[in-house]
Amino acid sequence: MAYSLNVCHLYGDLMNTYGDLGNILVLKYLAAKMGVELTSEVVSLDQKFDPDKYDIIVFGGGQDFEQSIISKDIQSKKQALTNFIEDDGSVVAICGGYQLLGHYYIGANGEKLMGIGALDHYTDKQKDHRFIGNVVIENEETGEKYHGFENHQGITFLGKGERPLGKVLEGHGNNGQDKTEGAIYKNVYCTYFHGPILARNNDIAKHVLMNALKRKYPNADLEKQAELKVGATF
Amino acid sequence: MSLKSSIATAAGKSSYWFLHTFFKGGSSLPGKITKRLDPDILATLGRDYDVIVITGTNGKTLTTALTVQVLKEKYDNILTNPTGSNMEQGIITTFLHAPKSKGKRPLAVLEVDEANVIMVTKYIKPKAFVFTNIFRDQMDRYGEIYTTYNKILNGVALAPNATIIANGDAPIFHSKQLPNPIVYYGFDNQPDGDIKATPNTDGVLCPQCQHVLHYHFISYSNLGKYFCPNCGYERPELNFALNKITDLTPKSSKFEIDGEPIKIEIGGVYNIYNALAAYSVGRFMGVSPAQTRKAFEQGKSIFGRQEEINVDGKLVTLILVKNPVGLNQVIDMISTDKDPFTFIGLLNANYADGIDTSWIWDGDFERLPKMNIKQFITGGERYKDITYRLQVAGVDPSKHLVEPDLDKVVEMIPKAPTKKVYILSTYTAMLHVRKVFAAKGFIKGGMG
Repeated sequence: MAYSLNVCHLYGDLMNTYGDLGNILVLKYLAAKMGVELTSEVVSLDQKFDPDKYDIIVFGGGQDFEQSIISKDIQSKKQALTNFIEDDGSVVAICGGYQLLGHYYIGANGEKLMGIGALDHYTDKQKDHRFIGNVVIENEETGEKYHGFENHQGITFLGKGERPLGKVLEGHGNNGQDKTEGAIYKNVYCTYFHGPILARNNDIAKHVLMNALKRKYPNADLEKQAELKVGATF
Repeated sequence: MSLKSSIATAAGKSSYWFLHTFFKGGSSLPGKITKRLDPDILATLGRDYDVIVITGTNGKTLTTALTVQVLKEKYDNILTNPTGSNMEQGIITTFLHAPKSKGKRPLAVLEVDEANVIMVTKYIKPKAFVFTNIFRDQMDRYGEIYTTYNKILNGVALAPNATIIANGDAPIFHSKQLPNPIVYYGFDNQPDGDIKATPNTDGVLCPQCQHVLHYHFISYSNLGKYFCPNCGYERPELNFALNKITDLTPKSSKFEIDGEPIKIEIGGVYNIYNALAAYSVGRFMGVSPAQTRKAFEQGKSIFGRQEEINVDGKLVTLILVKNPVGLNQVIDMISTDKDPFTFIGLLNANYADGIDTSWIWDGDFERLPKMNIKQFITGGERYKDITYRLQVAGVDPSKHLVEPDLDKVVEMIPKAPTKKVYILSTYTAMLHVRKVFAAKGFIKGGMG
């Protein structure tokens, strides 16, 4: 194939609670239709993240226990991840992954656990309550609607330079207060949508692939890739 | 029995009789009525029983049925709860319509929902608990695996003298120090190697030092002979072990436990764990290995969940799937079929199915295109999700039919290109299909 993209499945062996792997399967599937060969590898505990090796990071959601361990380990990758993001690298971050890209979140026992602060949001915790159920949002820039399922106790508040992935039409979103859901910063897409967000919302998958291709092949004619018709499962 | 308990029991019993007689139902309402009149009723009803509580994510129902079958070899009077009645009210109902026991102290073998263990132990101190496994299941209900385990342990804390009979191959069951006596069962049928679980496996962090666990071998998912190369945490000594798997087909398994050759009329490695759990309870209660072998041979009908249904000449196997671990086991099982077959996947997302369908993306559907499958059909309320899942898995679109309407899916079965048909279905879609099968006379009514 004419083009290739390499995906870092960040902590893919630990942050995988809700079908997160589906995102990589779908990226691979759509990339093939675009004539792009997509490969992926897991980068996990005690391993170095090399920003030059990857075009896309997929960072899934995990369980409280796993996430608290990663909160410590990810500090060693903080600079490299921040560089990747500032250098317009594409990222899909879900639930716990979303929280860890921000400043901090509150753990299962009320303790404050650090993120890497690459994005300017922070996450508090609802007391004895979770947002659980179907969510529908609208990307206010493109008008695209996204459907998903949320299940989170954390409530996230966006910071400077971030805009929401969408405005909440149904469900709770980031915090149940300001009608925002998820975050977009540069080429980073964050969300509380469970696991396979790209499977249900091919539009986002296409944005991620196109952004990554444009970055890696700035002089290529990607018109054919941009024309790929994608669907949705809602 | 106190007057309050007597009145409550009488009210519950008569409502059971009424519901059972006129509506052919009545699994939880009598329990609800009784509990309303006497909140502590379970203490009264359960007082005269030795109770064994079976809990965990997968395999509760079959393990309970097998345990009853095994214990019948030694005990005459065993009470058990029917499928699905595994929450507090269903358990009260079970005791309510128990026949009066004569002579020896009766046993009650109860399948109990993980969060309802405490509702039982508040009133009854069981003789033993059985922990089958904890996987992700209906996460919209309970959250994560450690949350689920803590719910079970909250119940167990009220019965510190009960023996725990636990799956030793599950790392989570060795992670907390408990005052209870513990007995472990597990697999010891492969030579020691050094491997890791596949990336999308849950629960692979060492509970002691939080490094990724390694395995000498894996039976499935995160179950196996685990060890931590960092701190030395490892699988506990097994009290009861499977030594050998001799033969696996979609419909039967032959293996040896503690050297005793055993055959069960059901496929799937996960069902061997269920049999091993029942065997272990049997041994704990004084049933010999040979008696257990006999019990499994005689109790063939227990394995009815995977019955083959004749639909106008097609041999249809209808299998419930509800989480990725179970799904992968079923995919593994159908891969052992030597004949070509038709694959039907049905996905609903009602409360009983789990309202979040994310888990299908952890299912190893990528194996399907390599099997001898002549036709694929997908359907159900969330047919778009399951259809897209199969497309991404590489299923040939020219062999793939899509039909949202379950009634029409059933009509397609006689036209299938193969004699064998496997239907993998979530709960409410399965109820629907069974109802249609019953209406057409292919099966007798109900969940069977």
